[in-house]
Amino acid sequence: MLRILQFLKGYVRMKIWGVSPERFLNLCSNKNLLLWDISKDGDAYIMCISLKAFLQLRPIARKTGVRVVVLQRYGLPFLLPGLLKRKIFVAGLVLCILFWMVSYSFVWDISLEGNYQITQEVFSDFLASQEIHVGMRKTELDIGALEKEIRRAFPEITWTSARLSGTRLEISVKENDAPVDTETEKPAGGQNLVSEYAGVITSMIVRNGVPMVKIGDIVEEGTLLVEGRVPIYNEDATVREYIYVAADADITVEHSITYQDSLPACYIQKVYTGRESARSFLRLGSRELKLPRERPYLVYDTVISGHTPLILEKLSVPISWGQYTYREYMNVEHAYTPEQAENLLAEKELQFLATLEEKGVHIIEKDVKIEGNSQCWTMEGWILVDQPTGRLTPIAGENVPAEGTE
Amino acid sequence: MRKKQTEGPSRREAIIDSLSLPKDILLGALRVTLTGSQEAWVENYKGILEYTECQILLQGKNCQVCFEGQRLSIEYYTNEDMKISGCIRCVRYQ
Repeated sequence: MLRILQFLKGYVRMKIWGVSPERFLNLCSNKNLLLWDISKDGDAYIMCISLKAFLQLRPIARKTGVRVVVLQRYGLPFLLPGLLKRKIFVAGLVLCILFWMVSYSFVWDISLEGNYQITQEVFSDFLASQEIHVGMRKTELDIGALEKEIRRAFPEITWTSARLSGTRLEISVKENDAPVDTETEKPAGGQNLVSEYAGVITSMIVRNGVPMVKIGDIVEEGTLLVEGRVPIYNEDATVREYIYVAADADITVEHSITYQDSLPACYIQKVYTGRESARSFLRLGSRELKLPRERPYLVYDTVISGHTPLILEKLSVPISWGQYTYREYMNVEHAYTPEQAENLLAEKELQFLATLEEKGVHIIEKDVKIEGNSQCWTMEGWILVDQPTGRLTPIAGENVPAEGTE
Repeated sequence: MRKKQTEGPSRREAIIDSLSLPKDILLGALRVTLTGSQEAWVENYKGILEYTECQILLQGKNCQVCFEGQRLSIEYYTNEDMKISGCIRCVRYQ
């Protein structure tokens, strides 16, 4: 900071020598003239002094018999006369400063963080409906009202904060982490649990309801596993009443899944011809400026490379440039070799098995074969799995009460 | 009368000591702050008596202080304080 002030005010580096240089230094300090970077150079002394102080040195130098020579001049007061001769440069400098000052009064970027359920698009639409957009004046922005409106429009947002950081509007939100109460209305009269697959029961933990099968039983699709009608017995073992509940249990069934997948015998591969052409563009916000041009090649793809200078990026000014590179290619048809086809199909199968495992399915055994003909490669087989099952169905039948209990 | 003159400063010092007042302000004593052997800040001096690359002699109110070393330079010099930098070997009071 001190250096900047010294530069703005201007200072000189001078050399003094003569009868009593020490007395010269003392008189300068007595008159409150700041000297710095004082060093000895042979019989002379070299030091820095501000421009204003330098103009007061004459009587001191005369009194002490010291000669003063300016070695170097530094600072704005010495630069200005030279600068003023370069009118275009000065005009550019002034325009540049004006540009930054004007652009600083606008919002050039809106950032959102902390959103998981609410997508960026939904939030952008909301901001557009509130007439908040990139390029608006900062003075038109009411941060408090915006925060209030966000909380009102999105009930799942529990906390919000908006602030202006330079030319960027930073919005932070916090969504409700607690699980949303998705409890659906339980149908009156309870629910049964039925099997979704045909197979053998391998494990069974019943939390609610009456189990109707046991481990090792063979069940069909739709077989009643756990009944939601729980009988209450009298002392003489006769049923006094039934309580209707939603059956709840963890049941796994061992069954086989048929697996089938195929791959075409041939595939198309891009072969680049090596011919390329480029076209530059300038992007201002969402608008893109580029020279009109005809279709460069019959078949081609495009690579876009953009560049935003760091200073514009830091200031959130949406100006960037770059170029489109068009690369010509030919579509060449190739046939899969047996190894390639086998690898690709094996990869697809692995993805399928991974998906099953993500769902909690335990894979016991598999038997899959690959066959190929001139048209395609096929993979067929079966996979023996241990899979959780149980689908809730309403209890149908006689005397089902409207309430949960009879 | 002479007795008073010799006893004067010591009595003053005793009072300043008993009241825990800063001596550099009340007695005008030189205040030298050294940071390692490279930098020294000096306050309450009257002026520079001698300045060479190997020696800087300062006049205080009651005494003189001499900084000896190599490549000694004055980073800044004002009416109130100054900063000496360089390779300080010795600080001597005269």
